[in-house]
Amino acid sequence: MPTIATVVLVLFSAILACLIVVRPEITVTRAGKILAFGVLFFLPVFSLAVGVQNEMTRSESTTFCLSCHIMESYGRSLHIDDPSYLAAAHFQNHRVPADEACYTCHSDYAMFGTIKAKLGGLRHLYVYYLGTPPLPQDIKLYKPFNNQVCLHCHLGARSFEEGVVHNADPATLPAIKANKLSCISSGCHEMVHNVGHWGDVKFWYQKNQSVRRSP
Amino acid sequence: MNRRLRISGVLVTIGLLVEGLCLMWSRPIAFVVLVVFGGMLIGIGVLFFLLSLASAAPDSAHASGLAPDKRQ
Repeated sequence: MPTIATVVLVLFSAILACLIVVRPEITVTRAGKILAFGVLFFLPVFSLAVGVQNEMTRSESTTFCLSCHIMESYGRSLHIDDPSYLAAAHFQNHRVPADEACYTCHSDYAMFGTIKAKLGGLRHLYVYYLGTPPLPQDIKLYKPFNNQVCLHCHLGARSFEEGVVHNADPATLPAIKANKLSCISSGCHEMVHNVGHWGDVKFWYQKNQSVRRSP
Repeated sequence: MNRRLRISGVLVTIGLLVEGLCLMWSRPIAFVVLVVFGGMLIGIGVLFFLLSLASAAPDSAHASGLAPDKRQ
């Protein structure tokens, strides 16, 4: 449900709840009792569920992730005008949905990947507001990047399966697929965000700034 | 009963207003505020309403001299 529709639903529920507060005597009749049940039980619970779902969906958006000050540099790294920067190349060419760029690459595709990502987000919030947040360039992944995130899209793709470098050594592809050789290891696709080590890079910005979902 | 309904209504209304504000406040902390404060207020309001229903039914039945199940 769009955010505006959710807000309208929530406000409508609040107005009806106000009606019960101002005129509780309307609950004397049978219809009033049904109204009270709907207004003080069903609608609040439904509104809360829809609101939480709305926030959960919004938390997957690129703008949501980049709304934290500490993430600004990572947002800028998506606009580096250099195809060797992995995150920038994926974002600019819509290899990942541009409006869910962070979430697409930083959440597992396993059954509980979304839940893990949300719990990780809560931890980030705790550190951001109550802890000592690190400098952007000092932010590290909790664990090595999982190749399965890359293989979710690239497995079976011609450029991946028949790539010259990938096939230079017969052991390379099986090692990548088994997550024994990281895609972002040194000498491979090691330039990801590289915040703090940009040097003299140029930035690219879309002429039409509206970010659209890739097909 | 009316007083309990009022308290429940006030809690639910405040909770819903908090939720509405959080939905329009596009910051990561909004989710936490929505769940912790909005959810808590709405949850307590709904529980208060249910408790008021549960506690009011025997009272009103007693007052009218009917058992709750026979009234319904």
